[in-house]
Amino acid sequence: MSWKEALRLSDVAFTELSLQAVYAFRQGNVLPAGSSRALVARSRRRVFQSKAVISGVLGLLTLGAAAILHQKALNPEILAAVPTGLFQSAVLTGLLSLDIALLWWTGVQVIPTLISSGVLTVLEPLPIDEQTLQRVSGILYLRLFDLPALTILILTPVGVGLALGPLAGLAAFPGALVAVVYALALSLLTGRFFLRRVQGSRGGGGRAVVRWAYLVLWLVPAFAMFAFITAAPAFFRALAVLAVQGPSLDSALLAAAFPFSFAALPAIASGGTSSLAILSPGVDLVLGLAAALYLALAVWAIVWLAGSVRTLLFLPLQAPIRLPTARSTLQPRGRARAVLVKDLRIASRTPGYAFLILLPILDAGALGLLTYATPAENPVAASLALGAVTTAALLATFFGPAFFAIEVVAYSYGRTLPLSNRSVVFGKVALICLMYLIAAALIVGFTLLRFFQPFTFVAFVFAELPAVIGAAFVELGLLFRWARRRGLAITNLYAGAWFAVLVAIPGLFMAGLPPLLFDLTQSSGVGFGLALMALVAVAEFAIATPVALGRGAS
Amino acid sequence: MATAPPDPSPIPLALTGLSVAYGERPAVQQLSLTVQPGEIYGLLGSNGAGKTSTIKSIVGLVRPVAGEIRVFGLDALRDSLSVKTRIGYVPETSMLYEALTPREFLEFVASVRHLDPATATRRMQSYAEAFRLEAELEEPIATLSNGTRQKVLIIAALLHAPPLLVLDEPLNSLDPRSVRIMKDVLLRYVASGGRGVLFSTHTMEVAEQLCQRVGILDRGVLRGEGTLALLRQRVEAGDASLEEIFLRLTEEDAGVRAAVDSLGDPCA
Repeated sequence: MSWKEALRLSDVAFTELSLQAVYAFRQGNVLPAGSSRALVARSRRRVFQSKAVISGVLGLLTLGAAAILHQKALNPEILAAVPTGLFQSAVLTGLLSLDIALLWWTGVQVIPTLISSGVLTVLEPLPIDEQTLQRVSGILYLRLFDLPALTILILTPVGVGLALGPLAGLAAFPGALVAVVYALALSLLTGRFFLRRVQGSRGGGGRAVVRWAYLVLWLVPAFAMFAFITAAPAFFRALAVLAVQGPSLDSALLAAAFPFSFAALPAIASGGTSSLAILSPGVDLVLGLAAALYLALAVWAIVWLAGSVRTLLFLPLQAPIRLPTARSTLQPRGRARAVLVKDLRIASRTPGYAFLILLPILDAGALGLLTYATPAENPVAASLALGAVTTAALLATFFGPAFFAIEVVAYSYGRTLPLSNRSVVFGKVALICLMYLIAAALIVGFTLLRFFQPFTFVAFVFAELPAVIGAAFVELGLLFRWARRRGLAITNLYAGAWFAVLVAIPGLFMAGLPPLLFDLTQSSGVGFGLALMALVAVAEFAIATPVALGRGAS
Repeated sequence: MATAPPDPSPIPLALTGLSVAYGERPAVQQLSLTVQPGEIYGLLGSNGAGKTSTIKSIVGLVRPVAGEIRVFGLDALRDSLSVKTRIGYVPETSMLYEALTPREFLEFVASVRHLDPATATRRMQSYAEAFRLEAELEEPIATLSNGTRQKVLIIAALLHAPPLLVLDEPLNSLDPRSVRIMKDVLLRYVASGGRGVLFSTHTMEVAEQLCQRVGILDRGVLRGEGTLALLRQRVEAGDASLEEIFLRLTEEDAGVRAAVDSLGDPCA
């Protein structure tokens, strides 16, 4: 069969994938009312919108980098600290790193959907030759990344060309191409790992640690921009030192590092090797060899991708089954705790839910580090820490309603068990509290290392806690009432997202009010502010509890 | 420790005038039946006859438009939580928490049912051994075959040794060995007295081997009910199989012949 046939089949598969990705009805979700034609059109539109958003971010990053490169040519103060060429190379290094991170992040999000949708397994038993199936898989995989990848491939040379000249723009292309190839290959590699070690991971405490570690890694690219912005000043300081040293072993190592080897090419094309101030004939050779090696690796990655995409898509989830070394035992616990443990176990194999749990915690870690890095004499440092605790409370409250979606998975079976909505609400509120407390503990831990004021920070965390619990009760109570009244089995991020967002509004108000009052009354003394905050939080909790635990919710 | 009050009635299941509808479309009409203590009651019917709708209304998944459901005398609509503690349910389709392993899933079920660790573990291990499921207990459910998932659901239904089992096509996807084990388990289960089983199937041989009484549903209406001997008398066929009785009662005997004749040679 021809490429034309492969394109036609991949289009059918992509339509099915879009529908699955948006409505997830194979996971038990109910399709919304409407003609199938309208649903297909809507799902394709939403998938396009998602890709457009990622492409927009990538485009803005590229244009931002181009603007920085342009400003640099006009700013003599920065020129004095870091040589022009080295500065340009550093900016492009950051841009290419962010490109890889964002594209890889997109890949690790969509590949599980691609696999679980089973869109290509339908084609496997049909009389279609191997080569066509291979092509269909390849085209489908590329279509996941098409718009973002094209944004990188086109805008990077154009942006660099506008800032540094056409020759530099042309020299930026190999780096952009290699970045795209690496991101696609990394996505496939981690996707394979995800299947085997996360989604297909056996039970047991040790394996749960591996799963959570992977899920943290899965989230890290999302923090790449934050990390880059935080680390940028230190990076430029290091470059300034390197420039003073001139060509050295350190500069050779930098030249050999990816993506610097490619990021230096436009600067060399624009201002020659001397503009970097760290190059010598020996370092030039290292840079050239490294770029050639990375390029060769990219070519190998393309060949590997061409052969492996289909294998991955048809890879059975089953790992070889081994007899357990010890006999399995059951440890039943209280109902609410059972709901909490079940949700954590599900989240450990489902990146979407893990994301909701880990994001406030990682965010707290990042903000805690920022607080730690802020000089102690800076008057905003303490406020920054308290603001970070408030952010943790707001994030935990905002993501809370999404945990209702876990009940979607086996909703009909769950309803046949003697499990009241009250127990489910308790379990999920416990999860939200856990997220808040872990995040707050991280911030407080970092902060206490810098400012030892345990009373203020610890009291702030616990004064806010009743408000977080109350907000979670209101959100989940309303969701359960709504689900029962509407007879809806589900609320997922696509089919019922509007209501999840709607119930989060009173929740966010409740979680946000006590810290706001603390902030407004701080001038009357920290003790007074904390007391008022705790009073309001407890009052909110007392009002919210009947909403969730009243007759209608049990 | 306070002991639970005795059940209001020893009858495991009594349906009276049960009607289920989906919008304007009736699925079950005025269905009345009882499952007696020590009895396996077979609910037979073609696809779409109303078996699953009946079962879903018993376990609380569908709200009937009319009628009464009593489980050991308890009203299933008013005392739904108490009724659910007395029922073990195997659904027709295995919608499970796929990201859990069978052990994690059974642990969740055991927690919800307030079982003590020793009893829950003992029962899980003995059923897992019987169904040869030990190797899969720590594998995610998402990776298991349909038959294995069905075994997990069966163990979950039996874990708390409920006095009433409600089974919707429970032998679907099971291998012959597991089918045999399941049949023996059910026979022993009701032999211990006081317990009842409602069993839906469209496999006549299974119903013939297992059920003391059967009810034949057709388009939501109960066409016949009783022991095999009683049903034979009713259709006036002394040695008729359950399949023949079923086709006669649902008046599909002639329809089947006509359908086969109209097909002609399937390979033509």
